[in-house]
Amino acid sequence: MKVLFSFYLFLTAKLFAAEDGMSFIERISPPEDISENGHLIDWLFNYITIMDAIFFFFVCLGIFGFSYLYSAKRSKRGEYTYGNRKGQILVATAIGALVFFCIDLNITRIANNDYVGTFINWPKADEDVVKVQVLAQQWMWNVRYAGKDQTFNTEDDVVTTNDLRLPTGKKIVVQVLSKDVIHSFSLPNVRRKVDAIPGRITRIWFQLKKTGNYEIVCAEMCGTAHYKMRGEMTVYSPQEYQAWLDESQSIAVAENDPENADQFWGWKWEN
Amino acid sequence: MAFFEQHIHDEPKTFLSKYIISFDHKVIAKQFLWYGIFFLAVGGIMALMIRWTLAFPGEAFPIIGTLLFPETGGVVPPDTYAMLFTMHGTIMIFYAITPILIGAFGNYCIPVMIGARDMVFPTLNMLSFWLATLSAAILLFSMFTPLGGAAGGWTSYPTLSTLIGSPGVGQTLWTLAIFVLGISSTMGAINYITTIITLRAPGMGYFDMPLTVWGLWLTAILNAIFLPVLGAGCLLLTFDRVFGTQFFLAGAAATSGSGDPVLFQHVFWIFGHPEVYILILPAWGIVSDLLSFFARKPAFGAKATALAMTSITVLSTLVYGHHMFTTQMSPLLTQTFMTLTMTISIPSAIFFANWLGTIYKGSINFATPMLFSLGVVFVFGLGGLTGLHLGTVTTDLYLHDTYFVVGHFHYTMAASVLLGGFAGVYFWMPKLFGTMLNEFWGKVHFWITMLGLNGVFMGMMVVGYAGMHRRIYDPFVYDFLQRLIPINTFITWSAIFMGLGQIPFVINFVHSVFWGKKAEANPWQVGTLEWTQPSPTPHYNFKEIPIVRCGPHEYGNPNLPAGRDFQYQTEEIV
Repeated sequence: MKVLFSFYLFLTAKLFAAEDGMSFIERISPPEDISENGHLIDWLFNYITIMDAIFFFFVCLGIFGFSYLYSAKRSKRGEYTYGNRKGQILVATAIGALVFFCIDLNITRIANNDYVGTFINWPKADEDVVKVQVLAQQWMWNVRYAGKDQTFNTEDDVVTTNDLRLPTGKKIVVQVLSKDVIHSFSLPNVRRKVDAIPGRITRIWFQLKKTGNYEIVCAEMCGTAHYKMRGEMTVYSPQEYQAWLDESQSIAVAENDPENADQFWGWKWEN
Repeated sequence: MAFFEQHIHDEPKTFLSKYIISFDHKVIAKQFLWYGIFFLAVGGIMALMIRWTLAFPGEAFPIIGTLLFPETGGVVPPDTYAMLFTMHGTIMIFYAITPILIGAFGNYCIPVMIGARDMVFPTLNMLSFWLATLSAAILLFSMFTPLGGAAGGWTSYPTLSTLIGSPGVGQTLWTLAIFVLGISSTMGAINYITTIITLRAPGMGYFDMPLTVWGLWLTAILNAIFLPVLGAGCLLLTFDRVFGTQFFLAGAAATSGSGDPVLFQHVFWIFGHPEVYILILPAWGIVSDLLSFFARKPAFGAKATALAMTSITVLSTLVYGHHMFTTQMSPLLTQTFMTLTMTISIPSAIFFANWLGTIYKGSINFATPMLFSLGVVFVFGLGGLTGLHLGTVTTDLYLHDTYFVVGHFHYTMAASVLLGGFAGVYFWMPKLFGTMLNEFWGKVHFWITMLGLNGVFMGMMVVGYAGMHRRIYDPFVYDFLQRLIPINTFITWSAIFMGLGQIPFVINFVHSVFWGKKAEANPWQVGTLEWTQPSPTPHYNFKEIPIVRCGPHEYGNPNLPAGRDFQYQTEEIV
């Protein structure tokens, strides 16, 4: 038995001193937040965690404290009470009410404000936003930008595979659809995901603040190669993005084959 | 309906009628127990294969790997990996936990704790077990069909689970197996509900029932209402797969008209959320009773606990939408489901207050069943509280489909239920088999299990928050998950540690069943009806139907004579 426990201790110790020199906190932190609004989610996560910790602290205090104080060795006879005296009922009710009003309703209120005020507060129709269509299929991400004509599903569209390029500083709206099974378009660095469902267009909006290379994840089980359904997300500064888009648009006009029906998987953009 | 007395038939003589086609609730309970333990082992080994793949991608699974996957030299291949996690979920939920908690304890505890001689419908009871066996046979067979077993996750969302995503016959058989199991469980549920309503011993009101029976009763009610919903979903899915209907197809695949894959998610989670409570309610009941029995003190606020369980049962039917936040339901639905989900914490907080109130000023005997019960309070605390992160819509947008979810539901559905089940096995062993389990090895089993499962499930929540999503064969395909290799290794070692920790239990259990020390009639000094009879419970439980005169938790009454601190339910309160 002692051998087993020392083995377990050894494992735990090994976890905190892994070879690559990364600190434990750094290792377990979520990926870097590159969006304007991701901090709302991080903040709420931490808030809930702290509330949980406080509540759980009292639970543990009860479990371990009472176990110590009232073990058969120290306490010869249990108190004879059904817990139905007025005072006892009052305490139990107070705990329930306290948890509900101080923790739960508070979390609900904050989450609701964030959700309605930000995450589903869609950009207005006349706002200048970056529009992207994403078609998920087993096992890749098709990405489409409207070409020079600003209309989707025409022959000058810029179409890429597993390669999403976006600018900072501008609202981005992505419409997502699936060709075959349900996928989930997930951007861990933006703290958001939305399911890609066949026959139903879903959407997501966010705004980025940091350039660099990041990853697109498929978060919903979509078959054997689900684990390899990885896309690249490149975030440019607005100037770089414009330069890339201009270049891609001219290439698209020159190289897209209007006769190729497969190319027109896009759909009409509706707000 | 008023109470009626069941007839006593002769004891069956042949092996077949005694142990195989048995109508006796005690034998059926044991059949379900063995069945559940067998599948617990199968599901556990699958879990170890999954963990091995995540911690050591590309390395052969030790010992049995080369036997199972000769074509890859022992490495779990990606398609098998998908089948493994699908089957692990299915087996653990429907074929391990359900039979142990509901099949075994439900069958055993309900009649003996309410003073009945058997279930009210013994034939239905027998059919329920044999249908469950048929279902298990279909499920096991499905894994050996040409394209392998079902591999779309235990939730089997269409369109992945239709012919578009899984053309093999394995998925069809999986769907049928679940359908058949649904029938079996519904039969059991009807039997439990009716038994509790009609066969309570004279004098036993609903609040005189032990809380274990309350938990099992509420579970049975949920089962009877919601398993048919799952059955309907499975049937529609089978139609889509076999007869070419299009209930769940949409988009390019729907050639004539259009169904909706999200419809299945609604149907599935209308069942699926209550399912969580179906599994946990019996464990809550057992724990609420055992805490009182071993703290030698009446259960604190027993009536409130029963009512809190009832209100959770009602609430559990109203919150299923929190599983579908990322499908972008209407904002109104999203907000409603979030708020309703939060209300579940009121009855949960009352539980915790009552559980802690029960051991407060008790005289606690730390026997193995008590250790496991206290373990449930601890792990259910962790599991329940982390549910807040997932019921909150904005944090769920990040955490949905990550390992955080996996860690959370394992804490609630696996850890709590399993510990509750073990508590029950250690506690009722004398009544079930007439022998005691070894206390020392029971305690070893408890501590290893407790350490191991916290290592595993806490680790899962940590990697989940760090961004690792579920159901991926090799997470390290993603650059941002590379840093999680050491934690995954730790989780896997914890899982192996916990897995090995079950060996003492199995040896202890098998040894006790066949060669164990004979138990006294009432080794734990407990007052509920089953302990008034000799161990093991005799044929037809009660020759004379007992008359109930007090509640199930009469401990520490100062008026009791010296040397005695409890009284039987058949005795008048002193």
